[in-house]
Amino acid sequence: MTIKASARRLLREPLVHFLIAGALVFTLLSGRTPDLGERRIVVDERVVGGLVSRFYDNFRRMPSKDETDGLIRDWVADQVYYREALNLGLDQGDEVVVRRMRRKLEAMTVAEAETKTPRDAELQALIDKDPARYAEDPRTSFDQVYLGADTPQNRALAETQLARLRKRERVTGTPIPIPASFSGASADQISGTFGDEFTLALRNVAPGPWNGPIASGLGLHLVRVSARTAAQPPVLAKVRQRVENDWRAGANARAREEAYARMLEGYDVVIELPK
Amino acid sequence: MRKALMGAALLLASTALVSGCDKIGKSVGSKAEVKNNAYPEQVYWGDTHLHTSNSVDAFGFGTRLDPEAALRFAKGEEVVSSTGVKAKLARPLDFLVVSDHAEGIGATKALYEAPRMMITDPTALRWYDMMHEGPAGSLKATGEMLAARASGLIPKALNDPEKSAKRIRELWDEHLDTVEDYNEPGKFTAFIGFEYTLMQTGNNLHRNVIFRDGKDKVGKLVPWDPQASLWPDDLWDKMDAYEKDTGGKVLAIPHNGNLSNGLMWMMTEPGGGPISAGYARRRALHEPVAEITQIKGDSEAHPFMSPNDEFAGYGTTGWDKFNLLGNIPTKQGDLPGSYVREALKRGLLIEQRTGVNPYKFGVIGSTDSHTSLSTTDENNFFGKHAGVEPSSHRATDGFVPGVMSGRMNWQSLASGYAAVWATSNSRAAIFDAMMRREVYATTGPRMTVRVFGGWDFKADDLKGDWVKAGYARGVPMGGELKPGGTGSPSFVISALKDPQDGNLDRVQVIKGWVDASGQSHEKVFDVVWSDMAKRVAVGGKVPAVGDTVDVATATYQNTIGAPSLATVWNDPEFDPKLRAFYYVRVLQIPTPTWMDYDLAKYKLTLPPEIPLRQQERAYTSAIWYNPA
Repeated sequence: MTIKASARRLLREPLVHFLIAGALVFTLLSGRTPDLGERRIVVDERVVGGLVSRFYDNFRRMPSKDETDGLIRDWVADQVYYREALNLGLDQGDEVVVRRMRRKLEAMTVAEAETKTPRDAELQALIDKDPARYAEDPRTSFDQVYLGADTPQNRALAETQLARLRKRERVTGTPIPIPASFSGASADQISGTFGDEFTLALRNVAPGPWNGPIASGLGLHLVRVSARTAAQPPVLAKVRQRVENDWRAGANARAREEAYARMLEGYDVVIELPK
Repeated sequence: MRKALMGAALLLASTALVSGCDKIGKSVGSKAEVKNNAYPEQVYWGDTHLHTSNSVDAFGFGTRLDPEAALRFAKGEEVVSSTGVKAKLARPLDFLVVSDHAEGIGATKALYEAPRMMITDPTALRWYDMMHEGPAGSLKATGEMLAARASGLIPKALNDPEKSAKRIRELWDEHLDTVEDYNEPGKFTAFIGFEYTLMQTGNNLHRNVIFRDGKDKVGKLVPWDPQASLWPDDLWDKMDAYEKDTGGKVLAIPHNGNLSNGLMWMMTEPGGGPISAGYARRRALHEPVAEITQIKGDSEAHPFMSPNDEFAGYGTTGWDKFNLLGNIPTKQGDLPGSYVREALKRGLLIEQRTGVNPYKFGVIGSTDSHTSLSTTDENNFFGKHAGVEPSSHRATDGFVPGVMSGRMNWQSLASGYAAVWATSNSRAAIFDAMMRREVYATTGPRMTVRVFGGWDFKADDLKGDWVKAGYARGVPMGGELKPGGTGSPSFVISALKDPQDGNLDRVQVIKGWVDASGQSHEKVFDVVWSDMAKRVAVGGKVPAVGDTVDVATATYQNTIGAPSLATVWNDPEFDPKLRAFYYVRVLQIPTPTWMDYDLAKYKLTLPPEIPLRQQERAYTSAIWYNPA
């Protein structure tokens, strides 16, 4: 049987598949490819410690003596198969292996970012870059009377109703299923209910008296702003989770790009165009 | 074949050691306590049904956006879609349930990422190669997967929970962390959930499972895979066990009755024989809400059962011919068990006989989008799956190439959302509102709709604080009107347009009841509409509102219809001896469909069968009346 044929036979064995793959993982974890000529396999404390802790992660208990022996036997078999497979050149010229290795290395760079806990200073820097994004929303408390669609008749009605409101008379608007009074509403909340146009217009309404009409996506409103708090500068403690989400989302992409740029620096990439 | 895939599963499990997705030592910012209002003052908008790259089919269709991207998008962030298009919601959502298929969760992604030499099963290898060919091949592979699912021919190794246990455990833990990170009580609610993809040879019996709880409780399980189950009883067992073990709360929302070939709302029990009180109670308890509208069609009403309802049949074209997977034709006799209105009527019949109504459920809309992007705006619709994201040809593409033959993508609705009257934007408050059915559905536009039923509401109530009065003297949508009042029940109904969408055409009350002889009936009442002085009903029929859609530019004018419609309505045909339900349907004026926006954007000529205008709508949960 030729080497090629036996390799092919070997490749049909699922167990081998697993071992090769496991070995690839091992290589990445141990950080170096074993010397192809090396015939010594050393089982030291570090190796056993790793096996035991992985067992613990899976089963939430320590392995028995027999189980530990089994883990070690298995690990040795891994090393033997892996080295034999490398000797057979099974990793060569295989695009899948190439891609797989790339993906793993990429994953590792991202994993580092994933498991990192950002320092407060980093989070604060992110806030400082775009404080408005994390600022405590400005809040508005206001009353509104809805007059219906924006028509000339309703604009005229607005005049008379506004005069009555200013004289503290009771005015009944057109009934709609949203509250007449909003307390400490955020811009998002106001926009969601009335549309953006209204939110912008409301910003220019001075607190105190009844005003209007101002238009919304719903029609015409008379409004009275009773209180308004400005946007509060963001405080890390209050927005930590949100900033951390953004940091993490950004960190993954950054880590990947930076790692690639660092590695690429060590290469001359020559693109030879056909003459 | 099993061994090989097991190898792949193990490999994938072990790679997690490298990619180390556990967010070790991660600090968790304190979640602010949320203040609940005395009664719901605001409606919260969300999607209870969204798939990401963790769903077997979504990944195959080409979706590469993960749950985090889905959550960021729902919160209003810009993301880049799987096909490279920038995507952003015009308005953020208030809540989201990422509901990936439990069945083989993450498996397609795992297969795709496995080394090719590890895959020995010829079918799996074929799909692997097709997926790696590119988007077209991947779509085709997924089509084959769905077809294989329909005939029970999925290679066992691809979906063997035992073999992939570790991979799923890690995926789920990571997912729970992500959901917790994005849950921001008071601002945005991220629910933990998944889809229980229950099916009988392609007849859809799917449920979305939603938890009121966080990772501390839901982390004790991994998504439940129905496996060989044929009926939802097993799911309810699991729900009971979860609640007992953890003290948590969980509910299930069935969807796409329209693709169940009559199995969704049957008159009989799974084992045969009429539904018993015990079975009815169990069903009602676990499934307080049903999804009435979504991309794969609308399940409100079908013209076959509702020939006198001129607005029945919205979003049924193409969806009423076959079951979900397109392998069994739908017979006329299947239709009553497939649509919500008929289910509500059946519920009354069963209650008449057993004393318990199994189908006393509220309704919500959701997308069932498989793109990680919860979109319903017709001019910002990202389609059912990554294969039909915005493009010049998607309006004439098939729905899924290779399967569900005959279904066209233009039959997809840019629908819908769930509207919830909750006392705050939090898991507890929104979940509790679903349990009491104070929810409604829309086909996308964010219309605000309130309904109260009582015995003494008068037109004058609308001049005062009618919401407060509604809660004090009546019951909101989803409630039950207790007998004891005099005269006929009265309903305070108020509907408001979406501030960024079309005006309203009309508000209707749909009444269902069972007569003395045990026959069920339905009737649609127009109760308030725009320009009532001009649009006088002739022979009980209100004239059409008109149409301002300009299909060439995909625009419309709010010069017809009304921004708000409100009334107090009394049932003119009330018989206190007969059980009944009442729900409200609100119709918008005609507006362009997503296909029309595509037509205008890409300068297309589309075949005449493709609708370019439609009347979007809201459906409320019913209010029930039971005689003493």
